[in-house]
Amino acid sequence: MNDPLTVAALLAAIQSDDENVRTQAWLRAGELGPAPLKQLAQVMAGGKLEVSRAAQRAMWRIVHVVGAPGATGRDETCAALRELLHDDQPVAVRREVAWMISELSQGEQDVEPIAALLKQENLREDARMVLERLPSENAVAALKTAFESAPDDFKHALAQSLRRRGVQVAGYPSQKLKPTKATRVKPVVG
Amino acid sequence: MSHSSKVKRREFLAASAAVASAPLILPQAVLGAQGKAGANDRVQVGFIGFGGRAKSLYSELGGLMQKGEAEVVAVCEVDENRLTAASKAIGPHAAVYRDYRYLLERKDIDAVVISTPDHWHGVQFVHSAQSGKHIYCEKPACCTIEEGKAMIAAAKAAGVATQIGSQGRSQPEAYLAHRYIVNNLGKVSKVHCFHYPSPVDESETPDSAPPPELDWDLWLGPLRWRPYNARYLPGTFRWLLESGGGQIRDRGAHVMSCAMWWLGQDGTGPVTVEATGTPPPKGLWDSAVDMYVTYTFKNPDWTLIWEQNDHCAVPAEERKPEEFKDGVTAISRPGYGATYYGENGTFVHWGGDGGTWAERKARQWVPPAGFQDVYQSPGHMEDWFEGIKTGKKTIMNIEAGVGVSNLCVLGNLSYLLGRKLEWDQARQEIVGDEQAARLMSRPQRYPYHL
Repeated sequence: MNDPLTVAALLAAIQSDDENVRTQAWLRAGELGPAPLKQLAQVMAGGKLEVSRAAQRAMWRIVHVVGAPGATGRDETCAALRELLHDDQPVAVRREVAWMISELSQGEQDVEPIAALLKQENLREDARMVLERLPSENAVAALKTAFESAPDDFKHALAQSLRRRGVQVAGYPSQKLKPTKATRVKPVVG
Repeated sequence: MSHSSKVKRREFLAASAAVASAPLILPQAVLGAQGKAGANDRVQVGFIGFGGRAKSLYSELGGLMQKGEAEVVAVCEVDENRLTAASKAIGPHAAVYRDYRYLLERKDIDAVVISTPDHWHGVQFVHSAQSGKHIYCEKPACCTIEEGKAMIAAAKAAGVATQIGSQGRSQPEAYLAHRYIVNNLGKVSKVHCFHYPSPVDESETPDSAPPPELDWDLWLGPLRWRPYNARYLPGTFRWLLESGGGQIRDRGAHVMSCAMWWLGQDGTGPVTVEATGTPPPKGLWDSAVDMYVTYTFKNPDWTLIWEQNDHCAVPAEERKPEEFKDGVTAISRPGYGATYYGENGTFVHWGGDGGTWAERKARQWVPPAGFQDVYQSPGHMEDWFEGIKTGKKTIMNIEAGVGVSNLCVLGNLSYLLGRKLEWDQARQEIVGDEQAARLMSRPQRYPYHL
């Protein structure tokens, strides 16, 4: 793959049976910016195990290249990633994409779709952590709103995120030092 | 022991912790018969994690246990098979737990040995300090810059003695190497660390349900959730960037630790870090297989290189049988170490962890009158216990441990992002790169947070 890279060439190489071809492909994915993200997510969701991994690594490569100082395409990449947060995507893709956004997002547009994930039990903890990381003040506001209506078993986690962001929260102290998991093992003689 | 001179163990240890920098002389009266510490004066130790490395650490604690200075009274493990094996190894007097927080709740436990995967070190260290325990924590100290800051702050606030498990500093030949470098090399302009590559995961293993004996949630701890995959453990966590970080962390925390100690650079840091590397072509593991990292230091100016591949190693010196003495053992795989370039010559060492070999010229060097001597550790565990009992600064205290760990963190971050990073040591921050700076911390899963 020494020729100028195209989306089609990248996708073909990512799905190659040759591990070295796949690797060289994902290493170059950043050259294309956000253009192949949607197709890569499809490959990630549906490909063979190692092909899926290569597609996921290509997506991360794009995130790391467009996130470099002076690089272009950051906002466009976030926009493309937001499209992959919808319910039509598998949970594994949405979870990974949320974390990609956590490394890139600077704007306000990403907060609402991430905050929407707080209502989904299998994604809410990832969404909470991503909002905790996003620099936007809207992310803090979203955590506050979620805290007001969250089920009790999730309020502690949201309170922790709010405290991390400098917000005072009444009640719901951290349970970090409270043991919860007992063992079935008994001391034994060797 | 007379009543008036008796020092209750907890009070004694609390006092020693509270005056962390003030030497506290252990009165002979508190010793038990035949020079052994009395039962009340033993440091009560709990093990957090009991895998392969913990077994070695338990063994390394053996000398102190034999002298009656230490007793292991509790162990925790998230794998119930391992917990059963740990109980057999330690004995029925030791309580067993799955959740380390039960262990931290016990007021009679003075100290903990943390030997869990890297991604747990920061959180468990901070929780242990906040619970008032003295801490021996396996290296590398932290996985993120933020964790390192929190560990230092927690240890300082609690006044506990800390030791990070870069035990290379305490090896017999580390002393000889240190002494030789200080007295012979002059100004050192470059240290070139060499190491063989990180492995490639050759097993195409899909995610699956965790085995019944494993608490996967507790194994993951602060990491974001993902399905269980058999290639994460045991031991193989170190080949993933999130939970281990590859050779640059596993052995870099040893070899670079020696460099920082021997050059008197603890407390300093680089101004730039630039890494290149080769990713694995397949498998779950994602740490760099080959790697080349350049750390540039200023005032004084010197360069630290971390190189890992299958052709960079300096061949180890042949050793004669009589050269294995005074605690010096064979190095299982002497394909790692470092070359020091000074204005008056060079010096090589191999290993840097449990085995450290100094180049022959350092071992044969006869110090002249007026030479500059250096600290000789009594042993890594023993040095920690001296810290517990006297409040003296340990050889690989948490500040030093975080400094070395940050080198590993920054090297991997530069590799991951594919670009050079600028580091502000005074502020402990990456500068001029908003994305990289954001990655100095990592949100943690509740309730497994700092």
